Amino acid sequence: MAERTRRPAWIGTRGRVLLLAVLAAFWALWFLGIGPSDLVPNAGGLRIAKRFFAAAFHPAFFTENGDALLPILLTAVWRTVAFATAAVSVAFVAGIVLAFFGSTAWWSPERAGGETSARGPWLFRARVTTYVTVRAVTAFLRSIHELFWAVIFLAAFGLNNLTAVIAITIPFTGTFAKVFSEIIDETPRDSAEALLDAGATPLAAFAFGLVPRALPDVLAYTMYRFECGMRSSAVLGFFGYDTLGLYIRQSFDETQYAEVWSSLYALLMLVLVFEAASRVVRRRLVA
Amino acid sequence: MSADIDTLWRERPRSRVLRVAVLLAVVLVACAWLFGGFEGADLLSHRRLANLERFLHEIVPQSLRGHFELSGLFSWAWHRLTERGFVAAMRTFAISLCAIVLAAAIAGPLAVNAARNLATAEPFLPVPGTPARERVWSVIATATGLFLVLLRAIPEYVWAFLLLAILGPTSWPAILALAIHNSGILGKLGAETIEDIDEGPLRALRSLGAGRASLAVFAVFPMVLSRFLLFFFYRWESCVREATVLGMLGGSSLGWWITDARFRFRYDEMLFLILLGGVIVLVGDFVSFITRGLVRRAS
Amino acid sequence: MSSNARFELVDAGVRFDAVDALENVSIRITEAAPVALVGPSGAGKTTLLRLLNGTIRPTDGTVWINGRKLSDYVGPELRALRAAIAFIHQDNSLVPNLRVSQNVIAGRLGRMSLLASLRAMFRTPRRELERVHAILERVGIPEKLFERTDRLSGGQQQRVAVARALYQDPVALLADEPVSSVDPARARDLVELLTRIAREEQLTLVMSLHNLELAREYFSRLIGMRGGRIVFDKPPGKVDDALVRELYSLTRGELADG
Repeated sequence: MAERTRRPAWIGTRGRVLLLAVLAAFWALWFLGIGPSDLVPNAGGLRIAKRFFAAAFHPAFFTENGDALLPILLTAVWRTVAFATAAVSVAFVAGIVLAFFGSTAWWSPERAGGETSARGPWLFRARVTTYVTVRAVTAFLRSIHELFWAVIFLAAFGLNNLTAVIAITIPFTGTFAKVFSEIIDETPRDSAEALLDAGATPLAAFAFGLVPRALPDVLAYTMYRFECGMRSSAVLGFFGYDTLGLYIRQSFDETQYAEVWSSLYALLMLVLVFEAASRVVRRRLVA
Repeated sequence: MSADIDTLWRERPRSRVLRVAVLLAVVLVACAWLFGGFEGADLLSHRRLANLERFLHEIVPQSLRGHFELSGLFSWAWHRLTERGFVAAMRTFAISLCAIVLAAAIAGPLAVNAARNLATAEPFLPVPGTPARERVWSVIATATGLFLVLLRAIPEYVWAFLLLAILGPTSWPAILALAIHNSGILGKLGAETIEDIDEGPLRALRSLGAGRASLAVFAVFPMVLSRFLLFFFYRWESCVREATVLGMLGGSSLGWWITDARFRFRYDEMLFLILLGGVIVLVGDFVSFITRGLVRRAS
Repeated sequence: MSSNARFELVDAGVRFDAVDALENVSIRITEAAPVALVGPSGAGKTTLLRLLNGTIRPTDGTVWINGRKLSDYVGPELRALRAAIAFIHQDNSLVPNLRVSQNVIAGRLGRMSLLASLRAMFRTPRRELERVHAILERVGIPEKLFERTDRLSGGQQQRVAVARALYQDPVALLADEPVSSVDPARARDLVELLTRIAREEQLTLVMSLHNLELAREYFSRLIGMRGGRIVFDKPPGKVDDALVRELYSLTRGELADG
């Protein structure tokens, strides 16, 4: 007998959720005390807007002192990339370790009789405790934005490039841990179970039966995170670090809007180049 | 037989792209650590350590320095919360809500025009339209896709910074900044979802004469709604997180009071508000988790 | 008490929650000739096979494997037991984005240390490669040695699974409906291959399958199962159509469930 498939109604729970979200947004506008009229800039703002957008068509190649802008921007671009790379490289490794302990892939209570160690219930409880602790820790790491970590480190250590990288690394580790453990939990386990059936240790089954299957998703997400890392790294410049954000802010404060656009275009090109490259790589990963 | 193996090995399928990518990644990581300008040793210098010591001293609330007691900590924290912490938290949530709904509203029409199966001259019909019209639609689809990339390429903070100068210190710069960036992301995810749908029923509807607009609203929309809602709430979490920091630029939300505390050197208050921001993010994560579960069950 | 058969079950039963997947099963399987498990879906064939592999434990009765009680195998001994008994799954359970050679070598992970496994998988020594190549030749696909596994057809992938099983150097071969997801022509080839190899290597072969024609043709002992119990245990000559119909007949209750 064929199962009758439940086709969701055009409006239903989902529609109600959507409606609720829209209503919440209107409430939020009321709560914030703002309305569409506040979108209209005053005379000063309008002037800035006109000059700013006009400068979009002729970005500067020299500063007002006559220095060449290109080498300065290139250093800023390199620093932006370097910060992001350093942060992601550490966060990736730390995230994988945390993800392993925060997933259920390395202990599955369903494999009755598959308990190849004789330590039984004590080990099980230890694993659950580890799992819960790790998940709590990663949630905390994730919840504080990298810019806040940067602010804390600025107050504690002053301006230092390494602390900037650490500021990015901490929440990124949490994010990697969460996403990787989700990927691990959602990857089909049949190949790992087949290896267990063939007598492999749980670790070997995980490493050679599950990791290869999860790898394409893991790498795709890492590339996405790296792109986010570059953006965060650029924004750190607003706080004084030598990345693209610094020049955006400085030039803007000096009303050198053409220079602002130079920095913006540099950032845009960085992101676009990486977008294109990662698209090519991602296609090969799935093929 | 050995010769066979050698031949097979030489002719094995491999990806040049992946090899180059891996090599580049390794080189990049090495260069970043070597030439990134990191002076770790400097952190251990006398000046820095003195700074650190002062900082650790100052994150303890003034009233509790010298004699620390838990009840004192709670009452101090409660004070901070009722003083401005709670309102700031609510404002952060409000900003994130406006932003994500606005983002979705912008992303919707963009996604429809970026999806390769919908943004053609004759969607879902086996016979394509005239070459001229096909070209036009191809341009539209590519341009929309590129536009979406541009929207999400600029960090929210930069958008907010620019908009603040133009619009003044209301909450709008933060909302618009978040909306612009996230519409790029939701637009891309939406387009991919549309491209993944089952074309069978749509082809049937088209052969019965349904037009593009009615097709989009009455057929495509319900099919992608579930996944789109999941993305919607997933991005809302991110909006909450970003909204906590965007306040630093202006508009009396959480980030603003954090900057304020920082400039007054009240690091105890600053740390408290930052932790409050973390709590807000966790609450948002939780609400989103529950709602996404609801949506999944309703599908 | 011990047993000198390869597999012996005495009044064995397996209960999952409130469901008896296996009940009162008593059989004895010696090394001699290939055994086919037949019966409708849900009859307990997979559960029985997983018992024989040591993957699950009986909730009632005793299971003897290689002369020892299953409950006596713990830790590394249990792993060694599993390594000695090869299991072929219905959906082959290979790793799709690894090469065929790597999937085959994975069969021996149970006998290698972690370091040796890494070396074997990523810098396979020449000798191992030649062994893998030889086994692939036996199953008929030697040229696919370095292909990505997901580029192969279903039947070819199943052969890779067979190769992985053989690479384990097992004493017994258990196959859980290996031909269900393969078209009929390939199915016959695969069954012929497995029974032939079992004969040549003197492996104890226990295979579950739906196709009675193939079962009668290639196996010397048919065990019919239904509802977790053994219905008959006879050589193919004694399994007449009436018996088969009784095995697959649906009671009124089963019909209602579809």
